[in-house]
This record gives sequence, structure tokens and C-alpha cells, in this order.
Amino acid sequence: MDYVSPFDERRRLAEPLAPRPAGLEGARIALLDINKRRGDEFLDRIEELLRARGATTERFVKEIFSKPAAPEIVRRIANRGDLVVEGLAD
Amino acid sequence: MSVAAPEFTLPSVTGGSLRLAELHADGPALLLFVSEECPTCTLTLRRLAPIVPDLTAAGLKVAAVFEDPLEVAARVARRTGFAGTVLSEPAPYEVSGAYELASLPTLVLVDRSGEQIGRVVGWNADALSELLPVSVTDDPPRRKPGCAAKNTYDAASLRALDGAGFDELEEMFERGWTDGLPVIPPTRDRVEAMLGGHDPDELLGEMAPAMARVTLERVAACAVLAGCRPEYFPVVVAAVQASLEPTFNVGGQAVTTQPVGQVIVVNGPVREAIGLNGSTGALGPGWRPNMTIGRALRLVISLTGGGFPGRLDRSALANPGKVGLCFAEDEEVSPWEPLHAERGHSAGRSVVTVFGADAPLSISDHRSTSPEELARVLGEAAAVTWSPNWWPLGGTSLFVLCPEHARSFAEWGWSKQQVREAMFEAVRRPAASLRWGETTPLVQAAPDDQLVGKWSRPEDIVIVVAGGEAGRFSAVFGPCLGMDAQPISKEVPWIT
Repeated sequence: MDYVSPFDERRRLAEPLAPRPAGLEGARIALLDINKRRGDEFLDRIEELLRARGATTERFVKEIFSKPAAPEIVRRIANRGDLVVEGLAD
Repeated sequence: MSVAAPEFTLPSVTGGSLRLAELHADGPALLLFVSEECPTCTLTLRRLAPIVPDLTAAGLKVAAVFEDPLEVAARVARRTGFAGTVLSEPAPYEVSGAYELASLPTLVLVDRSGEQIGRVVGWNADALSELLPVSVTDDPPRRKPGCAAKNTYDAASLRALDGAGFDELEEMFERGWTDGLPVIPPTRDRVEAMLGGHDPDELLGEMAPAMARVTLERVAACAVLAGCRPEYFPVVVAAVQASLEPTFNVGGQAVTTQPVGQVIVVNGPVREAIGLNGSTGALGPGWRPNMTIGRALRLVISLTGGGFPGRLDRSALANPGKVGLCFAEDEEVSPWEPLHAERGHSAGRSVVTVFGADAPLSISDHRSTSPEELARVLGEAAAVTWSPNWWPLGGTSLFVLCPEHARSFAEWGWSKQQVREAMFEAVRRPAASLRWGETTPLVQAAPDDQLVGKWSRPEDIVIVVAGGEAGRFSAVFGPCLGMDAQPISKEVPWIT
């Protein structure tokens, strides 16, 4: 039987993973706060631990947790960071 | 070298059963193994039908053995004019297997002693004229290959072919094209009827979380699945268009742990055109357009858009309204301006407004004696929505006022805006009384005696009128928060 699919059947190619860094020493790490309560507490601690291992960190904040990050934030993270840590919360 | 024809006993369309031995008891028998689905079998039956009387007169018994149920065999014999014996062989076609059939039609000539003395596979006029005592027609084609015999099929193919064990509705469940309730299979014919000539490839937008291209055809498939009639389709399209507005944040609503579903309020002439209910039982079951339009939007979000419950939809409890919720505002009964007119649309236009909302909470009041009192009762019901101490909500509360409550306000001379403002003013608490459990940053920071309202502004209170003519039961929907999700209105793009 010939049915019309409700789905978008386009096949998506999986994006290859970015190369893994050998270590954290000297790495530039973006910390993205999705702007949900207490996410900053989680990222504060992560930031402490990363700095103790020789990484430099930079904080970014999404406008609202329930929507995709603004393209400008994504672009800045991609241009200026080696790694990104995104802090979900609640 | 001749081979013994395997004995069989098969049911006949004239009743009872027939043994092979009875067929060749007095002379040779010609067995025609055929099936309904095979065009060459139909051709063979049509070509042999005119000479069956001559063959019979020549002492040959002609019997068609259908690899089909009796009723199908009888129908095909009647349509092809075949007047010989008609037998039906049931699955799994052991007789065909015993005859080692590879394809249909296969014609086997059996002599009086039960030996196979000739066999023709497919339609082959020359071979048949040589085998039989009567010549077959000279009409082309002289030869035509047939189809695989069903005894060679695997079990799954047989199920799909015969309908035995194949159930279209179960097939939809197996594909996952459902919300858990039975659906109408979206056959191409049904989807085309739903589209009503509109371009199936028209793109309405991309829907998160799947970032799927939402085309009219996919919306039509969901509308068919949901059980919509084609005349409901433009309302579904408008609801999908509204949901795709970035300020509705359908992707956020689709995946959140909140219980949020989507509520569709319809205004304007389309309500009457499609029979959408805004009266007795407006928020519940009983009316096909109400049930299926809301469900169609939900299927677009959960199937096409990828927000399927338990997968990317992580709603902790969800709510029954997430099956779909659509109702008409009863503009004719309402004493006030209808919702779409309030939102800037011409009152004569047909408009849908979508809301992200939790389940409705009923509000009974049969005794209030002033508009202030009734407004306070309605507003206080909303005080517990989301959480009893989450003030202000920072989102929209959709109130559905029953006709009796609305009429009381009108008799007291109150406009909808006065009701809204009275509710806004009435529902306030000192900050200190709200400072327990989880509360808002505003309450945490406020002085103890500062009054905090349930809403940040009167405009966060939306009022529509619907429900039965008797019964002082209104309702308020719980809000959708943290999504920056605004109610969105769209005109119905066409009315059929």
C-alpha cells in the first residue's frame, strides 16, 4: 500500500566529531550558560577545575534556555574556543 | 514419462468439496492453477471460457484451481465468463506445492488413470492448441508469462498479498504513525483529497526539534491520520502556520519537561462551515472537528516535528489535552468582542489562535452576587496554576468563561476589559506569604508586605466564551512558562 509519510524523510549525514585535544593545558574553553536556574553554579565549579588544569575560560549566556542559542553566540564560541562546556540545570 | 497427479480434495464454489479422482473418473481433466492477482491468469480464463463447452463435449473436465478464497474465485470466474468447475485452494497452498508449481497460470492435463500427461506454463496459445482437443483463439498475444505461484511466497509476502493477517490499522502502529490511538491510514488518495488541489510541496517552515521541512503534504498526511475531513484542513494549516512562528517556540514546547500542549481557539465563519463546537462540552469529546483538528496539530508536532512523547518530548506527566485540543469561541452567545477581533483581525474573518497551555482547571461559581466577587473567584482559581507560590506567572492564562458567567458580567454592565482588570487587581498576596517552597526572584527580593500579583499585566489574562447554555462552570488553562511562547493568531487561508 502506498502511504504518504508524515515525516521529513531526508537522510541527514552525521557531523564528524571535532578532533579531541591532547590535554587541557593552554586550551581555550567556552562555558555556555543556557540561562536556567543554578546553571551558573555548575559552570562556576567547572571553571575552577578547568583553570586549575591550565585552561583559559570564557563565559557565554544564552538569552533563554528553551530556544537555540543566537547565531552570534555560536559563531563567537566557534571562533574563539577550543572546547565548549554547556551547562544544563534545574 | 508421466507422473501421477497428486490427489487433492478442495472446496468448490458450488458447495461441497471435490476430489481429483472425481474429475478424471470418466476421462481426462484439465486443471488450471490461477490466482486473482495475476493478469495472465485472467487472460487465460477469458481465452479458455469460450471453448469450455467444446472441451466438455470432447470428454474433458475443466477445473480452475484458484489460489484465492472461494468468494474471490467465484467473482473472478463470473467476471471472466469461465463456466468450468471452480475450486479454491487455501493458504499455504499445499496442492500447488505438491504439483511443484513455480508460476501461474499452470495448466495440467491429467488422464483418466490419474497421470499428468501434459503441462503448459503461462499463456501459450500454440502449446495449448497442441495439448487440447480444441484450438484456442488466434488473438494476440500468443504467449504471455505469468506470475509467481503463491506456494513459492514467504509468509510475510503472503500476508501482505492476501490481507490474511494484514491489518492497515495495525500497520500504522507498527510504523509509529500514531499518538497511541488508532489512526486513518494516509493513503495517497486520502492525502490528495485532504490537499484539495493545493500544492503538496508548499513549505510552511521548519519545525524543531527534528528541524523537519513541514510541507502541506505532510500536514495533510497528519490531518488524515488524525481523522480530519478535507474541509477541516485549512484550519489545521492555519494552526500549523501559527505554531511555526518563532515567537510561539514550538520546539521548546515540544521537548520540555512541562505538561504543555497546544490549545487552538477558532473564531469566525469557518466554525459554522465545519461544525466546530463552542457550546455544550466544547473542551471535551463528541465533535469530530474539535477532536481531529487539535489532534492533527499534535501529530505534526510529534511526528513531523520530532517531538514524540518519551523520545524528544520529555514531558514529565504531560496532560490529556496533549492528544489535541481545539474549540470554537461561541461568539454568538458572548456579550463581548471575540478573541480574533481583540487581536486585530476583522470580526468577519476566520482565525485560529494557538496557545501553549497545560490542562484546564474547572471553576464552579453559582453564588457570586457582584462582578467583583465573580472576577475574584475566577482569578483566584488561576492563583494555583503552575505552582501556588509562583507569582507573577510571567505568562498567559487562558480563561474560558461559560455563557452564564459571561452573561452575568454583561448584565452587571461589565466589559471584558473590566473583568480582566478586576481579576488582575483581585489576585495579590504579600510577598512574605509567597516565600516558601520554590518562588520567583521577584518575590524573594520584595519587602515582606509588598503586594505581588499573579500576573505581571492585565494583558496576560485572555478571556474567551464557550460552553453549554446552562451550568456555571468556567475554566482556566495552566500556563506555558519559560518558553517565551506567545499566543499566535493566523487567518484560515481558505474555506472549502
